[in-house]
Amino acid sequence: MKTFEERYTAWIDGKLSGSELACFERELDATAPPDKASAQQLGDLLRHHSDAPALPNADFFTHQIMHRIASENPEPQRRRSWSWSIPRLAWAGALSLLLAGALFKTIILPDVPKPVVDPYFAEIVDVRTFDPNISATPVYNPKDNVTVLWIEGLDYLPASYKLQ
Amino acid sequence: MTVKILRSALFLILLASVSARAEDKIWSAVVIASNVGTPREAPTQLLPVINRLKRVFGYNQFEILGSTTTTIDDQVERWLIPTEHFWLNVKARHASAKEARGGYLLNLQLFHDKRQLVETEAKLAPDSPLFIRGPLHARGQILIVLQVQPPAN
Repeated sequence: MKTFEERYTAWIDGKLSGSELACFERELDATAPPDKASAQQLGDLLRHHSDAPALPNADFFTHQIMHRIASENPEPQRRRSWSWSIPRLAWAGALSLLLAGALFKTIILPDVPKPVVDPYFAEIVDVRTFDPNISATPVYNPKDNVTVLWIEGLDYLPASYKLQ
Repeated sequence: MTVKILRSALFLILLASVSARAEDKIWSAVVIASNVGTPREAPTQLLPVINRLKRVFGYNQFEILGSTTTTIDDQVERWLIPTEHFWLNVKARHASAKEARGGYLLNLQLFHDKRQLVETEAKLAPDSPLFIRGPLHARGQILIVLQVQPPAN
Protein backbone atom coordinates (compact mmCIF):
# COMPACT_ATOMS: atom_id res chain seq x y z
CA MET A 1 0.00 0.00 0.00
CA LYS A 2 1.57 3.29 -1.13
CA THR A 3 1.40 6.33 1.07
CA PHE A 4 -0.34 9.52 0.06
CA GLU A 5 2.98 11.31 -0.42
CA GLU A 6 4.27 8.57 -2.77
CA ARG A 7 1.14 8.64 -4.84
CA TYR A 8 1.15 12.49 -4.81
CA THR A 9 4.72 12.57 -6.11
CA ALA A 10 3.86 9.99 -8.76
CA TRP A 11 0.78 12.00 -9.77
CA ILE A 12 2.86 15.21 -10.22
CA ASP A 13 5.37 13.23 -12.28
CA GLY A 14 2.49 11.90 -14.44
CA LYS A 15 3.17 8.31 -13.55
CA LEU A 16 -0.34 7.38 -12.35
CA SER A 17 -2.77 5.90 -14.87
CA GLY A 18 -6.06 4.10 -15.14
CA SER A 19 -8.05 3.34 -12.04
CA GLU A 20 -5.15 4.34 -9.82
CA LEU A 21 -5.16 7.88 -11.35
CA ALA A 22 -8.96 8.22 -11.06
CA CYS A 23 -8.92 7.01 -7.46
CA PHE A 24 -6.14 9.39 -6.40
CA GLU A 25 -7.76 12.41 -8.16
CA ARG A 26 -10.98 11.73 -6.29
CA GLU A 27 -9.04 11.55 -3.03
CA LEU A 28 -7.19 14.76 -3.92
CA ASP A 29 -10.44 16.61 -4.70
CA ALA A 30 -11.76 15.62 -1.31
CA THR A 31 -8.68 16.61 0.74
CA ALA A 32 -6.92 19.61 -0.92
CA PRO A 33 -8.82 21.06 -3.92
CA PRO A 34 -7.00 24.47 -4.01
CA ASP A 35 -3.57 22.82 -4.40
CA LYS A 36 -4.55 20.62 -7.30
CA ALA A 37 -4.13 23.18 -10.12
CA SER A 38 -0.81 24.60 -8.88
CA ALA A 39 0.57 21.10 -8.28
CA GLN A 40 -0.41 20.13 -11.78
CA GLN A 41 1.32 23.27 -13.19
CA LEU A 42 4.51 22.41 -11.24
CA GLY A 43 4.43 18.90 -12.66
CA ASP A 44 4.01 20.20 -16.24
CA LEU A 45 6.88 22.69 -15.71
CA LEU A 46 9.24 20.03 -14.40
CA ARG A 47 8.42 17.71 -17.23
CA HIS A 48 9.04 20.37 -19.92
CA HIS A 49 12.31 21.63 -18.35
CA SER A 50 13.67 18.49 -16.84
CA ASP A 51 17.31 18.99 -17.91
CA ALA A 52 19.39 21.58 -16.03
CA PRO A 53 21.67 23.79 -18.16
CA ALA A 54 25.29 22.64 -18.25
CA LEU A 55 27.71 24.89 -16.26
CA PRO A 56 31.09 25.30 -18.00
CA ASN A 57 32.76 26.79 -14.83
CA ALA A 58 31.06 25.03 -11.98
CA ASP A 59 33.71 26.00 -9.40
CA PHE A 60 33.45 29.70 -10.22
CA PHE A 61 29.68 29.50 -10.04
CA THR A 62 29.88 27.80 -6.62
CA HIS A 63 32.39 30.40 -5.43
CA GLN A 64 30.13 33.23 -6.52
CA ILE A 65 27.16 31.69 -4.80
CA MET A 66 29.13 31.13 -1.55
CA HIS A 67 30.50 34.70 -1.67
CA ARG A 68 27.00 36.09 -2.08
CA ILE A 69 25.68 33.99 0.79
CA ALA A 70 28.56 35.16 2.96
CA SER A 71 27.99 38.83 2.13
CA GLU A 72 24.25 38.56 2.81
CA ASN A 73 24.81 36.76 6.11
CA PRO A 74 27.82 38.44 7.75
CA GLU A 75 29.35 36.40 10.60
CA PRO A 76 28.82 38.18 13.90
CA GLN A 77 32.21 39.57 14.99
CA ARG A 78 33.46 38.36 18.35
CA ARG A 79 33.75 41.16 20.85
CA ARG A 80 37.15 41.12 22.58
CA SER A 81 37.15 42.50 26.06
CA TRP A 82 38.99 42.24 29.40
CA SER A 83 35.84 41.68 31.36
CA TRP A 84 37.04 38.80 33.54
CA SER A 85 34.87 37.20 36.12
CA ILE A 86 35.46 37.86 39.83
CA PRO A 87 36.87 34.38 40.63
CA ARG A 88 39.21 34.67 37.65
CA LEU A 89 40.42 38.07 38.86
CA ALA A 90 40.88 36.70 42.39
CA TRP A 91 42.96 33.79 41.14
CA ALA A 92 45.06 36.09 38.99
CA GLY A 93 45.65 38.39 41.98
CA ALA A 94 46.61 35.52 44.26
CA LEU A 95 49.03 34.12 41.70
CA SER A 96 50.59 37.56 41.17
CA LEU A 97 51.06 37.96 44.93
CA LEU A 98 52.68 34.56 45.19
CA LEU A 99 55.00 35.37 42.31
CA ALA A 100 55.91 38.75 43.84
CA GLY A 101 56.56 37.14 47.22
CA ALA A 102 58.77 34.47 45.72
CA LEU A 103 60.74 37.06 43.74
CA PHE A 104 61.12 39.27 46.82
CA LYS A 105 62.36 36.38 48.93
CA THR A 106 64.80 35.06 46.37
CA ILE A 107 66.13 38.27 44.82
CA ILE A 108 65.71 41.19 47.24
CA LEU A 109 65.67 39.69 50.74
CA PRO A 110 69.13 38.06 50.77
CA ASP A 111 70.77 41.45 50.10
CA VAL A 112 69.10 43.18 53.07
CA PRO A 113 71.29 42.84 56.18
CA LYS A 114 69.31 41.83 59.23
CA PRO A 115 69.62 44.48 61.94
CA VAL A 116 71.09 43.30 65.20
CA VAL A 117 68.57 44.13 67.87
CA ASP A 118 70.29 44.74 71.17
CA PRO A 119 68.55 47.27 73.36
CA TYR A 120 71.51 47.56 75.74
CA PHE A 121 72.60 51.15 76.28
CA ALA A 122 74.83 52.36 79.13
CA GLU A 123 77.18 55.24 78.53
CA ILE A 124 79.57 56.93 80.94
CA VAL A 125 79.62 60.64 80.21
CA ASP A 126 82.06 61.88 82.85
CA VAL A 127 84.17 60.38 85.64
CA ARG A 128 86.50 61.69 88.34
CA THR A 129 88.31 60.23 91.34
CA PHE A 130 89.34 61.80 94.63
CA ASP A 131 92.59 59.94 95.29
CA PRO A 132 95.64 60.40 93.07
CA ASN A 133 96.40 56.70 93.42
CA ILE A 134 93.03 55.73 92.05
CA SER A 135 92.06 55.95 88.37
CA ALA A 136 88.75 55.24 86.75
CA THR A 137 88.31 54.48 83.07
CA PRO A 138 85.08 53.91 81.16
CA VAL A 139 85.36 50.72 79.14
CA TYR A 140 82.88 49.86 76.46
CA ASN A 141 83.33 46.61 74.63
CA PRO A 142 81.43 46.88 71.34
CA LYS A 143 81.75 43.14 70.74
CA ASP A 144 80.07 42.24 74.03
CA ASN A 145 78.02 45.45 74.29
CA VAL A 146 78.76 45.98 77.99
CA THR A 147 79.86 49.19 79.68
CA VAL A 148 82.19 48.95 82.67
CA LEU A 149 83.66 51.67 84.84
CA TRP A 150 87.07 50.16 85.47
CA ILE A 151 88.63 51.42 88.72
CA GLU A 152 92.34 50.79 89.25
CA GLY A 153 94.57 51.40 92.28
CA LEU A 154 92.17 50.25 94.97
CA ASP A 155 93.45 48.48 98.06
CA TYR A 156 93.40 44.68 98.14
CA LEU A 157 90.86 43.37 100.62
CA PRO A 158 92.12 40.37 102.59
CA ALA A 159 90.05 37.35 103.52
CA SER A 160 89.66 38.77 107.02
CA TYR A 161 87.66 41.62 105.55
CA LYS A 162 84.04 40.56 105.91
CA LEU A 163 82.05 41.50 102.86
CA GLN A 164 78.63 40.83 104.39
CA MET B 1 34.63 76.07 77.84
CA THR B 2 37.02 74.63 75.25
CA VAL B 3 39.99 76.12 77.08
CA LYS B 4 38.82 74.48 80.31
CA ILE B 5 38.53 71.09 78.63
CA LEU B 6 41.96 71.44 77.03
CA ARG B 7 43.50 72.48 80.34
CA SER B 8 41.93 69.50 82.11
CA ALA B 9 43.14 67.12 79.41
CA LEU B 10 46.68 68.52 79.61
CA PHE B 11 46.64 68.20 83.40
CA LEU B 12 45.49 64.57 83.16
CA ILE B 13 48.18 63.76 80.59
CA LEU B 14 50.87 65.34 82.78
CA LEU B 15 49.55 63.53 85.84
CA ALA B 16 49.55 60.22 83.99
CA SER B 17 53.10 60.68 82.73
CA VAL B 18 54.38 61.76 86.16
CA SER B 19 52.72 58.81 87.89
CA ALA B 20 54.13 56.44 85.25
CA ARG B 21 57.64 57.82 85.64
CA ALA B 22 57.39 57.65 89.40
CA GLU B 23 57.24 53.88 89.16
CA ASP B 24 60.73 53.62 87.64
CA LYS B 25 63.16 51.87 89.94
CA ILE B 26 66.88 51.46 90.18
CA TRP B 27 68.42 48.19 91.25
CA SER B 28 71.93 48.09 92.64
CA ALA B 29 73.99 45.11 93.75
CA VAL B 30 77.44 44.19 94.95
CA VAL B 31 78.68 41.10 93.13
CA ILE B 32 81.74 38.97 93.73
CA ALA B 33 83.22 37.28 90.69
CA SER B 34 85.56 34.32 91.00
CA ASN B 35 86.92 31.30 89.18
CA VAL B 36 85.93 28.00 90.73
CA GLY B 37 85.94 24.37 89.69
CA THR B 38 82.19 23.94 89.75
CA PRO B 39 80.57 27.37 89.35
CA ARG B 40 77.13 27.98 90.80
CA GLU B 41 74.29 29.07 88.59
CA ALA B 42 74.27 32.81 87.96
CA PRO B 43 71.72 34.98 89.80
CA THR B 44 68.50 35.59 87.88
CA GLN B 45 69.12 39.33 87.70
CA LEU B 46 72.42 38.76 85.86
CA LEU B 47 71.24 36.07 83.48
CA PRO B 48 70.63 38.41 80.50
CA VAL B 49 74.28 39.57 80.56
CA ILE B 50 76.06 36.66 82.22
CA ASN B 51 77.84 35.45 79.10
CA ARG B 52 79.16 38.92 78.36
CA LEU B 53 80.34 39.30 81.97
CA LYS B 54 82.24 36.05 81.77
CA ARG B 55 83.99 37.21 78.63
CA VAL B 56 84.72 40.77 79.84
CA PHE B 57 85.95 39.94 83.37
CA GLY B 58 87.22 36.41 82.78
CA TYR B 59 85.45 34.78 85.75
CA ASN B 60 83.09 31.82 85.68
CA GLN B 61 81.05 32.44 88.85
CA PHE B 62 79.12 35.53 89.87
CA GLU B 63 77.41 35.81 93.25
CA ILE B 64 75.34 38.68 94.57
CA LEU B 65 76.57 39.74 98.04
CA GLY B 66 73.77 42.21 98.56
CA SER B 67 71.29 44.27 96.58
CA THR B 68 68.70 46.98 96.98
CA THR B 69 65.93 48.46 94.86
CA THR B 70 64.51 51.92 95.19
CA THR B 71 62.29 54.22 93.17
CA ILE B 72 63.90 57.04 91.27
CA ASP B 73 62.41 60.37 90.36
CA ASP B 74 63.61 63.27 88.34
CA GLN B 75 66.08 65.46 90.27
CA VAL B 76 65.63 63.49 93.49
CA GLU B 77 68.70 62.27 95.37
CA ARG B 78 68.73 58.67 96.62
CA TRP B 79 71.06 56.60 98.73
CA LEU B 80 71.56 53.03 97.57
CA ILE B 81 73.02 50.69 100.18
CA PRO B 82 73.34 47.19 98.76
CA THR B 83 75.84 46.12 101.47
CA GLU B 84 77.16 47.70 104.61
CA HIS B 85 80.55 48.40 103.00
CA PHE B 86 79.54 49.76 99.60
CA TRP B 87 76.91 52.37 98.91
CA LEU B 88 76.04 54.88 96.29
CA ASN B 89 74.52 58.31 96.13
CA VAL B 90 72.39 58.75 92.99
CA LYS B 91 70.79 61.83 91.52
CA ALA B 92 68.72 61.11 88.42
CA ARG B 93 67.53 63.20 85.51
CA HIS B 94 65.50 61.97 82.57
CA ALA B 95 67.78 61.33 79.62
CA SER B 96 66.63 62.96 76.41
CA ALA B 97 68.86 60.84 74.16
CA LYS B 98 66.91 58.57 71.85
CA GLU B 99 69.11 55.57 72.56
CA ALA B 100 68.44 55.93 76.31
CA ARG B 101 64.83 54.91 75.57
CA GLY B 102 63.31 56.88 78.42
CA GLY B 103 66.17 56.07 80.80
CA TYR B 104 68.12 58.37 83.07
CA LEU B 105 71.24 60.46 83.25
CA LEU B 106 72.61 59.48 86.66
CA ASN B 107 75.05 61.41 88.80
CA LEU B 108 76.71 58.64 90.83
CA GLN B 109 78.99 58.75 93.82
CA LEU B 110 80.48 55.44 94.93
CA PHE B 111 81.59 55.06 98.51
CA HIS B 112 83.56 52.30 100.20
CA ASP B 113 83.48 52.43 104.00
CA LYS B 114 82.83 56.21 104.06
CA ARG B 115 85.60 56.81 101.52
CA GLN B 116 84.44 58.25 98.21
CA LEU B 117 86.06 56.29 95.43
CA VAL B 118 84.62 57.85 92.29
CA GLU B 119 82.01 60.25 90.95
CA THR B 120 80.58 59.74 87.52
CA GLU B 121 77.76 60.69 85.19
CA ALA B 122 76.23 57.90 83.20
CA LYS B 123 73.29 57.49 80.85
CA LEU B 124 71.38 54.28 81.43
CA ALA B 125 68.57 52.86 79.36
CA PRO B 126 66.07 50.60 81.11
CA ASP B 127 67.30 47.03 81.63
CA SER B 128 70.87 47.99 80.65
CA PRO B 129 73.12 47.40 83.65
CA LEU B 130 76.24 49.45 84.30
CA PHE B 131 79.13 47.59 85.92
CA ILE B 132 81.76 49.18 88.14
CA ARG B 133 84.91 47.18 88.76
CA GLY B 134 85.71 47.66 92.44
CA PRO B 135 88.49 46.38 94.67
CA LEU B 136 89.91 42.86 94.60
CA HIS B 137 89.02 40.68 97.58
CA ALA B 138 90.60 37.42 98.67
CA ARG B 139 87.43 35.65 97.48
CA GLY B 140 87.37 37.35 94.11
CA GLN B 141 86.73 40.54 92.19
CA ILE B 142 84.10 42.91 93.57
CA LEU B 143 81.72 44.44 91.05
CA ILE B 144 78.99 47.00 91.63
CA VAL B 145 75.98 46.83 89.34
CA LEU B 146 73.32 49.47 88.63
CA GLN B 147 70.25 48.93 86.52
CA VAL B 148 67.19 51.04 85.77
CA GLN B 149 64.06 48.93 85.92
CA PRO B 150 60.98 50.13 84.08
CA PRO B 151 57.62 49.75 85.79
CA ALA B 152 56.25 46.24 85.56
CA ASN B 153 53.34 45.90 83.13
